[in-house]
Amino acid sequence: MTFNLFIQSVLIGMNLAAIYALMALGLTLMFGILGIVNLTHGAIFMLGAYGLYYIYGVLGLNFFLAMMLTVVVLGIFGLFMERILYRPVDGHFAPVIAITLAVMILFETGGNLIFGYEPKGVMAPVTGVSTILGVSLSNYRLVTILIGAILVIALYYLIHRTKVGIAMRAVEEDKVAATLQGINVNRINAIVFCLGTGLAAAAGAVTAPIYSILPTMGNLPLSKAFMVIILGGMGSIPGAIVGAIVIGLADSLLAVTVGIELAYVFAWVLVILVLIFRPRGLLGAY
Amino acid sequence: MPIRKSYFFLVCCLSILVLLPLFIGEYGLMILILICINVLLASSLRISMNAGQFNFGIPAFMAIGAYGSALMTMKLGFPPILAFFAAGMLSAIVSLIVGYPSLRIKHVYFLMLTLGFVEIVKALAIRWDSLTGGPTGLPGIPPFSIAGFKLVTKISQYYFTLFSSLVILLVLYRLEKSRFGLIIKSIEQAEDLGETVGINTYTYKMLAFAISSFFCGLTGSLYAHNMAFIEPTLFGFLLAIFVVVYCFVGGLDNFAGPIAGAVLLSILTEPLRGFQAYERIFFAIILVLVVIFLPGGIISLPAKLSPSIGRLRCIKKR
Repeated sequence: MTFNLFIQSVLIGMNLAAIYALMALGLTLMFGILGIVNLTHGAIFMLGAYGLYYIYGVLGLNFFLAMMLTVVVLGIFGLFMERILYRPVDGHFAPVIAITLAVMILFETGGNLIFGYEPKGVMAPVTGVSTILGVSLSNYRLVTILIGAILVIALYYLIHRTKVGIAMRAVEEDKVAATLQGINVNRINAIVFCLGTGLAAAAGAVTAPIYSILPTMGNLPLSKAFMVIILGGMGSIPGAIVGAIVIGLADSLLAVTVGIELAYVFAWVLVILVLIFRPRGLLGAY
Repeated sequence: MPIRKSYFFLVCCLSILVLLPLFIGEYGLMILILICINVLLASSLRISMNAGQFNFGIPAFMAIGAYGSALMTMKLGFPPILAFFAAGMLSAIVSLIVGYPSLRIKHVYFLMLTLGFVEIVKALAIRWDSLTGGPTGLPGIPPFSIAGFKLVTKISQYYFTLFSSLVILLVLYRLEKSRFGLIIKSIEQAEDLGETVGINTYTYKMLAFAISSFFCGLTGSLYAHNMAFIEPTLFGFLLAIFVVVYCFVGGLDNFAGPIAGAVLLSILTEPLRGFQAYERIFFAIILVLVVIFLPGGIISLPAKLSPSIGRLRCIKKR
């Protein structure tokens, strides 16, 4: 591998890491606070990409406005899902998984029927190529890394510096004690669900100009996000960020050396090795 | 009375299953074989579920059984019956390797690892084309042969599949009623308590997973030798979803639940074969409805309805 190729893979790896981090943060929040393993996350990612396609590509709104609109709409949608589907079976592991599974199939197949099987694409809002360390990379990928970083920092601020964030962490630690302090646990659950859904939608919207938009496009990011949160530690936010960077880099470096399918297998092997030698994940609390 | 009633019901079912080939054609027999396979998959998933493990790896272990058994007969020249058991053992051994890291911690890791394992096995089956035939599949798998008699006709294959399914179900039933079955059930309900009274929960979880995978491997082998053709896309995530839905719709609290779910849904979705999109939507909707409105599955329906039926009878008498 030449030096240039290495730098190129690292930059693309960072781009992937930004997307994986957005996906994994939503998943890890939902797992830590709600105790849900949300299989619907990939479908939300797909809906985010389609939302951007229709609002920005077809209607021709400003890109960032379109992204915000998509995120808000899907976030509100997440609120409804939490109220209608998850709250009735709250607290039971297997039924919740079954429900998320069903919703995932419903979205994916519904997407196939409504949006069609043929791939769609949108133009990136930022065009041109810039050269870094003798390697050229499209400007949009750099913007993606930037958007990812901004959202991650904003989330970090929300969780550590605001009242809602403190309430979230309290619910994560002990539901009963949080209730006794006057925290409305149901409302926190709804907010977390809305937040996680919004993050997945943002990840999808950001990815839309890079990859082709398909109803099944969410499956790969979902399984990558699983790898990320196992690697980083379930429920840990710094863990999700570190895990996203590791998996993103591993992905792009392995893809150029051994091919995409084997890279996928190797990434899982890496995750299994981490589980054997450090069962809590890299930064996990438990 | 209830015991005698259920025996009567069983005998009725069995005689219907034995006599059915007289009335339906070759296509019908094939569907019956597939239903048997679905029933076996759902019942083996139930062992994992009983131990509190949400196992998405069913298609992966079925694939290992199917490919293992097919390759052992085709490349190594094993007799199919021997390959049948060897395939089960192979699946069980692989499941121990997967279970070793993932069962030590929370059940969530297990769920995700089995989810990834399905994709790994599928990717390997596609990529390792010198051995598995790649994405186009593996044709020409020889049928089972018993004492030199090859089971080529569909009717003989059906009877063989039916017989082996019944034996497997009987073994599973005895297992569930045994001490082992009680112990894994206790792990699902209160793992800490089980540890306190001296049960090595980790070993028992591994055992439950290995047994579940063993029967999946056997089922895979049954599938491969009866259909004579396998391809990687058969053993994808979709199959895992179907098996999970069979279990939930049938009801996980009862041994008969997954069986009822698999039979009912296989028959109901038979007209939808070929319209994959609608089949999936049907599965998704029925899963949501059952989980929210009928948590015990359809097997709990008679017990739920009987009070109101009894009331109706009382009214009639008056």
